Amino acid sequence: MAENHASIVEQVKGLIYQSCLYLDDHQWSDWLDLSADDYHYAVRAYSPEISADMEYMGGGLEYMRSLTQMLPKHNTDNSPLKRHCTVYKVDIADDGKSASAVSSFVVFQTMLDGINSHVDAGESRLFMIGRYNDKFEINGDGVKFTDREVRLETRRLDKGSHWPI
Amino acid sequence: MSARNHEQWSSPPKLAEGEWVDSRIYSDQAIFEEENEKIFKHAWIPVCHESELKDAYAFRTMTIANEPVIVVRGKDMQVRAFLNVCPHRGNMIERRPSGNFKDGTPSGTPKRMTCMFHAWQFDMKGKCVYISRQEEGYQDRLCTADVGLRELKCEVYFGGFVWVCLDDNIEMTVEDWAAGALDCLAPSLNEEPLEVFHYHKAIIPCNYKLWHDTNCEFYHDFLHYHNRITGFNDAYFARKNSGFKNGHINVGSFEVQYDNYEGFHSREELSFPHLPPNHWYMIDMFPGVNFNLRGSALRCDLMTPLGPDKVMIEFRGLGLASDTPEERQTRIDHHNSIWGPFGRNLHEDLIAVTAQGSCMHPNAEKRNILQGRHENETIHDENGMRHYYHEWGRWLNRSPSNPDEEFDESLIAQSSGEQAAVQASA
Repeated sequence: MAENHASIVEQVKGLIYQSCLYLDDHQWSDWLDLSADDYHYAVRAYSPEISADMEYMGGGLEYMRSLTQMLPKHNTDNSPLKRHCTVYKVDIADDGKSASAVSSFVVFQTMLDGINSHVDAGESRLFMIGRYNDKFEINGDGVKFTDREVRLETRRLDKGSHWPI
Repeated sequence: MSARNHEQWSSPPKLAEGEWVDSRIYSDQAIFEEENEKIFKHAWIPVCHESELKDAYAFRTMTIANEPVIVVRGKDMQVRAFLNVCPHRGNMIERRPSGNFKDGTPSGTPKRMTCMFHAWQFDMKGKCVYISRQEEGYQDRLCTADVGLRELKCEVYFGGFVWVCLDDNIEMTVEDWAAGALDCLAPSLNEEPLEVFHYHKAIIPCNYKLWHDTNCEFYHDFLHYHNRITGFNDAYFARKNSGFKNGHINVGSFEVQYDNYEGFHSREELSFPHLPPNHWYMIDMFPGVNFNLRGSALRCDLMTPLGPDKVMIEFRGLGLASDTPEERQTRIDHHNSIWGPFGRNLHEDLIAVTAQGSCMHPNAEKRNILQGRHENETIHDENGMRHYYHEWGRWLNRSPSNPDEEFDESLIAQSSGEQAAVQASA
């Protein structure tokens, strides 16, 4: 049982890290393929200015798939975003069918065309920090995401982004 | 002539006076400081929304023209504004962005604004109610009655926005200041209480007027795939762009075809009161405020200039206070789809003005920034910007196209034709 528990924990960690690699590399479809059909994604933050919890981006699997497929039609800041993520905690439900995890992340932006490429391109800047609060389903097919809350600590987002975090 | 040399590039364009501006107005330190002194210290600014101050003793802090401001709701539920500055040693009284004075602070007692430095305390009407060791230090030379806070002009108007003006002598109410520009949305915003559900800020390396310009002209919809696919039709191109007194403009409405963007949906079910389904109004107020109502969600941009090449933009999203949780979530989804920090349109607008800012250094070769499109004052006419700079020139007494020269009202009015539009719409 303990061996199985450890195996699931490693699978959860592996899934989170795989999602980071796909997000880093803009493999949007591969990223979403890590998710169950009822997946929900949201970027949220608490605003001490308006004393309220806010959602900055959110949607189900189909919405996120559509949103990422439409990206080529939009003008965007193409400066790459790369994550440093550490899984802090994995909790597996007693029945072994679901799990949750908390990870801390830092996203760096390496400037490309965001401001003045001649001057800025190549410089890496802190883009945002926060946590991933993830939920998973576990079945015979392995582990899949059912929910991801990107809980941002950074609230000054300047130009923002078109990309999921 | 194809590409141009320096002389050709720097020469006035083949447009009438008032149909271009000198890029120096977007980068000059002296002009920026003059704008703060002559414009921002004398204009009504909607600093927050009353829903951010729901309870008695609630407060919000902000800055206007580098002056720290605090807005508080008193026990009597009145909203008042003060300089957020202690009259003793000039310290900032409240450092938090928001909160409630019902709770005590390490240096002070509940229901008081307390300066942590020397524990002077003030009530919600700005009256000083406590000076620590007063008699020992001031004997009978100075008492609490002598050292109240500096109160500022404050009104709650237009759907519950809290407007503040630093100028005691402003003779206009907010309604006078708006001069009719807000009327197109007043029925929708005044029907029932609103509530802020979204706030985020951006600090962008460009002059504040470049952001206001972007809000004032819709010709840049070529930047936005979303707006082209959901908008470009006869009704869109017929939208009127109207000028009002005091430099404000608004853009008339039409029905947006949200379904045309893959994955997006009609906003018909949650239209604001009195707003036809999926309609979209925009109001740009001098010197740097925008109200934008797209069917189910209201957006407000407030610009705070931080330097000639730096602006803070605060973005708010609002719905109806009576929303059910499901309705609120739908409004949030609609708002975020194009206007959130991860939305389709806002990011595009912000990278565009950032790129403009990159091209407008104080010592850059002169650029003549064009605003000379005439399309019968419809959506891609640039009369909105011309109207704004007419007002800007008047306030600073500088010609926008040659800021070292005095503003010539008659010359610009004649050439741009915008004076007639103002009179027609006022």
